[in-house]
Amino acid sequence: MDMIKRLVTIVACLLLIPATAVLTAAVKQRYADGPNRFFSGGPLVAGDMHTGAEPDWSFVNEIVTIELQLVDPPRSRRIWTVEHGGKLYVWSGYMGTTVGQWWKGWPPQAERDGRAILRIDGKRYERQLVRITSGDILDGITKAITDHYPSRTTRAGVEAGDVWLFEAAPRT
Amino acid sequence: MKMFYQGIAIAVVVTALAVAFVPGVDEYVEGTAQRIVGSWAR
Repeated sequence: MDMIKRLVTIVACLLLIPATAVLTAAVKQRYADGPNRFFSGGPLVAGDMHTGAEPDWSFVNEIVTIELQLVDPPRSRRIWTVEHGGKLYVWSGYMGTTVGQWWKGWPPQAERDGRAILRIDGKRYERQLVRITSGDILDGITKAITDHYPSRTTRAGVEAGDVWLFEAAPRT
Repeated sequence: MKMFYQGIAIAVVVTALAVAFVPGVDEYVEGTAQRIVGSWAR
């Protein structure tokens, strides 16, 4: 029994090292201007804020990721995006899995308060995230997603809640 | 065992300092964590 206890203690101590690395990296990123790839970052500070007419969002189809910050809570993460029909969309996958729900905290937060700031190519945009859960428009949006990314996002997945899709609409 | 605990304590402190201050270490940690959690989510 002592042998097992000692073994468990040794394994726990060894696991403390990678846990420290992950925790330190996450805390460090939380105080940064924007996210890295995985850990969420702090508020998006740098970059001019877009004013004026609605942009032609088609340029985002040449971009892999953008930075998204919610106003509340003021944390940012890096996500995929597409333009379809002149509108901008963001989404979160894996929402039907336990790990996904633990990992992706921002979609429920965005549903509660959709005020967001996007930073694309160093320029910031104030937007309002509006969740879309059904409708024929999902066919076009999901096609735009799968055309742009190695993604298996489908209309059925969005309607089932496995993928949470938002239009990044103009802030009113 | 006492030396083992001391070694772990030193390793934890060195790890935290390396991730916090050595360029590139935090990105390595992040990339590794992303791969592991991504594989769990699938």
